[in-house]
This record gives sequence, structure tokens and C-alpha cells, in this order.
Amino acid sequence: MFINAVFIILFLLGFYALIVKKNLIKMVIGLNLMEAAVFFWVISFSDIGGEVAIHKLNEAAVNFNDPVPQALTLTGIVIGASTAALLLTLIIELNKFTDTIDRDEIEGLNN
Amino acid sequence: MHKNFKNITAVVVFILMGIAFYENFQLMPAYKGLGEGVSDYIIRSGLSETGSLNLITAVLYDYRAFDSLGESTVIFGAVSGIVLILSRKMLPVSSRGLSFIVKRTLGIITPFIALFSIYVITHGHLTPGGGFQGGVIFAAISIIFSIVYGSAFDYRRYSPQMKTAFETVGALTFLGLGIAGIFMEGYFLHNLGFLTAETGTLISAGSIPYINMGVGLKVGAGLAIIFYSMIQKTFKEEI
Amino acid sequence: MQILEFLLLIFLVLAAVMAVRFDEELISIIFLSIFSLILTSLYMLHKAADVALAEAVIGAGLNTAIFMSAISQIRHGDSD
Repeated sequence: MFINAVFIILFLLGFYALIVKKNLIKMVIGLNLMEAAVFFWVISFSDIGGEVAIHKLNEAAVNFNDPVPQALTLTGIVIGASTAALLLTLIIELNKFTDTIDRDEIEGLNN
Repeated sequence: MHKNFKNITAVVVFILMGIAFYENFQLMPAYKGLGEGVSDYIIRSGLSETGSLNLITAVLYDYRAFDSLGESTVIFGAVSGIVLILSRKMLPVSSRGLSFIVKRTLGIITPFIALFSIYVITHGHLTPGGGFQGGVIFAAISIIFSIVYGSAFDYRRYSPQMKTAFETVGALTFLGLGIAGIFMEGYFLHNLGFLTAETGTLISAGSIPYINMGVGLKVGAGLAIIFYSMIQKTFKEEI
Repeated sequence: MQILEFLLLIFLVLAAVMAVRFDEELISIIFLSIFSLILTSLYMLHKAADVALAEAVIGAGLNTAIFMSAISQIRHGDSD
């Protein structure tokens, strides 16, 4: 299915940035991409072609999309933002001592 | 030679991971729909039990309110860590601000941004939105002040002590409503039934609007503190 | 509807590739913001209004500001 292919591509792109890239900020960007891939897959997996899960006044309930995965995704997005902020803070503080954000230079390697 | 070997290894690993993902998706059962289970229960009886038109808000602040409490704790932990690492006794001055036209225009627009944030927070049980989204819009006001007027202005208008007080008030509102649930209804964070008014009005759905306000204050103040701590500190100035 | 979703998914993957492959951090952050914006419209197409609002506010707004403020105070030493 097309959604699964997009999930695999996005997740592997984020993993590639996390493993191969030497820039620390690019690693945080890769982490954000992996999160976004999982959230998007959960939302599109639970979409059964229904309506937005909000009742209308004085109308009978029609078929809704599943509200529980949407609530969990909402929780995850906010937590992802705060963890990204914490990681960037650690990078800023590390940069004050080493004057670089290259992973290998921080570890003392030169190539 | 060394670099080539590393790249080839990475490509092989990623291809193997892709194949593993693909095989997993082949084994995964199809989504059966909402015939049974907890989602079906929430969709059928969520409105009559909580009085909230928006079912996602009903899940977040009534059925799984303990999750939201844990999420608030995670944000509190992130704020504590960032402030602990980056705290300095300096007045941060990021810039002198932008031009006069931008400052005047922002002065006209700012009340409308605040109004939209308050609308999103208080109508969380009727329309899309809620405490988290409205709180982040509230934090955006502080961010725009720091960018356009320079962060010294933001410091004088909304000092960090005031933001800390806002965050404490939000967390105490959430916890207080949870403890009130023990005494009134018998369970922690149970919806307060005697507050329920006519469905569809602004003051309805039990304690959900009040929890929304608490979460909005907490998230907004917390993210504003995060951004305020992360902007550049250039020189020291007497406060 | 199908064609719109197809196009948006292609642009989503392209924005992610751009965000990973550029070496300069500023361009990566701009493309990450574009990625979040496209993701917002995809959430709206899948009938998840609350998630779309949260992604628009946090992913495209707050994350960009935090990343910008981080790269604005990172010093590159002269050890090239």
C-alpha cells in the first residue's frame, strides 16, 4: 500500500540522518522526521473514511473516525516538541566547550 | 577506502531494514473498523457520559486524563532541565527589534492573537482545539514579542516570575480538579457531574473546560519559558 | 481527492529528502517547516482536525522558532 511505502521511506530517511550524518542538529532533525512518520502512519491507518469525530447538535451520530489514536498522537506531538527543545539545549551547552557541532570532532577523531 | 566501506555498510543496513519493515506490513492484520472495543464504546456513549461534543477532548481530559497529567509532567521536566542548564543572571537581549512599522502593526494585531488563543482554549469541548493547541498559540505571543521588540521588552512585560506563576496556577488547577474528583465522585480525575449544564453551551461538559484552561496556562507558560531561556544572551544589564 | 493526496505525499517525501541532504542547517530547518505544513494538510485530508491544528501550531511554528534560536548561538571554531 502507498501509505506503508511512504512510512518506510520517511522512517529510513530519519534513521539515515540519525546514524550517518555528523552534524548534531541534523540528528535532531532526523529524530523529528521519525516521529512524524510514525504519527502520520497511525493517523492514516485509523482513517476508515468517516467524519471528524465531533458531534453536531441535534443530529444523530454518523460514522466517525476513531478518536483514540488521534488523542494519543496529540499527546505525542507535544512531547516531541519538548524533547527536541531539551536536545537542542544540550547541543548549545556542549558547543560552548568544544566550539563545534561535528560528532567526530567532539569525540577527538579527525576524519 | 574507509569512507566507501562505511557508505556501503550503511546502504546494506538500510535496505535490510526496509525489507524487514515491508515483511512486517505484509503480516499485519487489516483494520477491522469500529464494530467493537473501546473506540466503539467511546463513540456511542461519549456524548451522553461526558457532555463534550468533541470526542477527542473527551478522550484526552476525561477517559484518559491521567495521560494528560503525565504529559504535563513531561513538559515540566523539560522546562526544569532547560532552565537548569541555561540559567544565567543576565538580562537577555537578542536584538534591538525590527523597524517602527512592524512594531506598530504587531501592537494592533496582538490582542486578536490573544483572543484566538482564548477562543481555542475555552471552546475545546465544542470545536477542534483544546488546552495544548491554545496554549502554544499563547506562547507564540511571547515569541513574537522577543523577535519584533527585542527580548528586553518581553522581559519587562512578562517577567519569568510571572510565567512561573502562570505555570504553577495551571498545574494546581489540574491537580485540584483531580483531587476534587476523589471527594465528589469517588475516583481521581473523575468528571464532576454536578457541573454539567445543557449540552452544546459554553459552560457544559462537567470539569472539562476548567481542565482545558489549566492545561492551556501550563503549556503556554512552559513553552514560553523554554523559548525565553534559549534565546541568545549578549551582554549584562542592570535590571 | 485521491490525486491531491498522492501529490501531497510526493511533496512530503521530497521535503524530507531536502531536509536531510542539505549541509547548511538553516535550509534544513526551512524544509522541516515546509514538511510540517504539508503534513498538516494531510492530517486534514484524513479527517483529524485536532491533530492538524496541533501540528500546524507546534511543528510549523514553535519548532522552527526553537531550532532558529539554537542555530543562532552556535559558534563554529576555526578548526577546519
